[in-house]
Amino acid sequence: MRDLYDRLKTAFPLGELTEQRPDLAFVTVAKEQLRSLLLHLRDQEGFTHLVLLTAVDWLEEGNFQLTYLMNNRLACRDLGVRVMLPRDPASMDSIHDLWPTAATYQRELREMFGIDFPGSPRVDEDFILEGWIRTPPYRRDFDTLKFSDEVFAPRPGRASSDPTEFMKQQLYPDKT
Amino acid sequence: MSLSDVLSPFSAWKNLFRDPVTIPDPLNDRPGAPRYRGFHQNDIEKCIGCGTCEAICQNAAIDMVAVAEIATKPGDSGLRPRIDYGRCCWCALCVDVCMTSSLSMSNEYKWVDHDPDAFCFIPGVDLKHWDSSELGYRRPEGHRLTGIERVAMGELEPEVRADSFVEIVAGYDLEQAKLEADRCVSCGLCVATCPTHMAVPEYIATIRDGDYEQGVRLLYQTNPFSNVCGRVCTHRCETSCAARHEGDPIAIRWLKRHIIDQVTHDRIKQIAAEGRVSKPSGHQVAIIGAGPAGLTAAFDLAKAGHGVTVFEALPAPGGMMRYGIPEYRLPYDKLDEDVDVIRSMGVEIRCNTRVGEDISIDQLREQHDTVLLSIGLHQGRSTRIPGSEHEDVVSAVELLRRITFGERFDVPTTVAVIGGGNVAMDIARSLARMQRQQHGQVGVTLVALEAEDLMLADREEIDEAREEGVVIIPSRGPRQCLIERDALTGLETVHCVSVFDDQGRFAPNYDDSDIQIHDAGLIVEAIGQAADHAFLGESLTEALEWERNRIRIDADGRTSESWLWAAGDAVQGPDVITAVAAGHRIAASMMEAFAGTSAQTH
Ligand code: SF4
Ligand code: SF4
Repeated sequence: MRDLYDRLKTAFPLGELTEQRPDLAFVTVAKEQLRSLLLHLRDQEGFTHLVLLTAVDWLEEGNFQLTYLMNNRLACRDLGVRVMLPRDPASMDSIHDLWPTAATYQRELREMFGIDFPGSPRVDEDFILEGWIRTPPYRRDFDTLKFSDEVFAPRPGRASSDPTEFMKQQLYPDKT
Repeated sequence: MSLSDVLSPFSAWKNLFRDPVTIPDPLNDRPGAPRYRGFHQNDIEKCIGCGTCEAICQNAAIDMVAVAEIATKPGDSGLRPRIDYGRCCWCALCVDVCMTSSLSMSNEYKWVDHDPDAFCFIPGVDLKHWDSSELGYRRPEGHRLTGIERVAMGELEPEVRADSFVEIVAGYDLEQAKLEADRCVSCGLCVATCPTHMAVPEYIATIRDGDYEQGVRLLYQTNPFSNVCGRVCTHRCETSCAARHEGDPIAIRWLKRHIIDQVTHDRIKQIAAEGRVSKPSGHQVAIIGAGPAGLTAAFDLAKAGHGVTVFEALPAPGGMMRYGIPEYRLPYDKLDEDVDVIRSMGVEIRCNTRVGEDISIDQLREQHDTVLLSIGLHQGRSTRIPGSEHEDVVSAVELLRRITFGERFDVPTTVAVIGGGNVAMDIARSLARMQRQQHGQVGVTLVALEAEDLMLADREEIDEAREEGVVIIPSRGPRQCLIERDALTGLETVHCVSVFDDQGRFAPNYDDSDIQIHDAGLIVEAIGQAADHAFLGESLTEALEWERNRIRIDADGRTSESWLWAAGDAVQGPDVITAVAAGHRIAASMMEAFAGTSAQTH
């Protein structure tokens, strides 16, 4: 992967290379360079297949990280291209014209993380959540517990003990 | 045609002997991936019922429930997690946070049942066929959500501290304390183990919040000696801490000290006085001995409006906290601060007043409603080996007392200390400091009956003593003190093969062929202490019930005489915090006795 990285570096300003396995590595690139890097990888380096597009919420830093995982079938290796973008408002250029499947990933990211991809087909339509009006659920500030308490009925008969109180009852009940 | 074309049918055949990649019976046999997050498994012997899994679950899928076959014991609540699969989303946060790695997930993912309540189960207790599955999700190596290592405590280096009585431990600064407090998962397993059941997770939380006044308030609810305990507590709580299973226990003692160090003395006094009853009840209590048990009872009683007078034989209050524990572990001004708060509650402490000499116990009884005996163990026991009656063979407690008095006595260049407990370490380290001051070098040999790993002193005491130049020799029994022309010259010891017999009784077994002589111009015996009960007088001694040489007390600290309670090392031991707990119990018991009775007219 080092060889590939060194070649790419001559044309693109890249962050550090993270080599996870001999056949899997990650690089970071600025938002503006993403499209030209993906095109270069597809047309010059044999990374013709978009394996997946996914996001991580770096809430404390105020960023989303997108990862475009690219596969070179002949060389049997994967390169993950990472992009950081500001969390609010989160918006990224669509790549559906390079890989039509990207539209599906982008629609999912729009729904689960609230990241917009203007121009991506059907990006604003419901994906798997129907009629969702809350904070997108994969955002880390989405309160899962509050949501489940509000939406789901508690199962009858459930009760929990606090370890400290329970130990007091068992081991030293009379002491104040 | 190339060679490879000829061979290719054979290279296909070789796959015949490989394990097939396809699944022969895909309808019935569909194993999850090796690290699949399937149904939970819990090693219930390893689980400690800390409830951290419950706390982290974002779906409130986990309850902590009592399980008949698991007993509650120190460090284990006896509760176990029950998971509601109607809510679980298989995120595995519970597995990632589990404090013992007892919780994991098998790769089994198929479960059919007609009863919806079956899907609420206690892994490891409600037996399942996947309980012993080797495959499934485990927390990956090195992946931890809670900090593993304790924040290191700043200490004076041996070269700097070895000739000085300045406090060794620096205390955490704000940032260090927050980091350490962050490691606590607030499970509260430690609370049961603390003899006075301090609200540990709550006061640690005040450090995270930066609310130190609330921290002090919580400390004073259970312990008026936080300056002392924050430094020298035996911190048994830390042996029950959930964090100790896969890392260092939380430095609970140092965090307590950190809280009390952050608030000014005057503010501490105000906080301690909150809820104080200002109207005198009219009841009068006499307390004999101003150690941790007596002063804790005094604090509680005075705070509730009762009149308390403490009679102390020595020149200053504190008991063994002052006259036993060396200054480099507990500076006197810190003890003075704790005592001052107690005094400010209205407690009168009469020092230099020895009951039996300056005032009789009968007088105390006449002038007060109740009396508490908390006299401590201030007499050293002797080995009674030949030569031990020589004037340069002394007891550790006596010598420690003289050091606190500030007496400047000459320490010979060679000293032998007999004993392997904390008191032995205290005197050895104190004398080593004085030798360095007086002679520029250390010559202290400490001989302990027990083998190295069985010595009674805390490990850090042993290590620090060695760092300061004390030579510690385990497995040596004292044989005789050597005297030449009336002068003490050394100690003869013999190899101790074992300390206890098969029944666990104290019966040292020696190898007489292995004898050593240790040069010593002074021999210090630190093999235990006794109480001096002579002042009780004959009739009271007769009237009281005894248990060997201790006064018999009940769970509330009452003796067989209705007006008399007893507490502290003389009846219970072994440490400050146990004495504090006893002090609280006795104050509560006395107040119960007062309730409904009117005060005597004195
Ligand atoms: S976190 Fe682990 S040790 Fe604690 S109760 Fe849950 S399963 Fe048991
Ligand atoms: S100090 Fe340890 S045992 Fe106590 S609450 Fe914190 S993690 Fe639990």
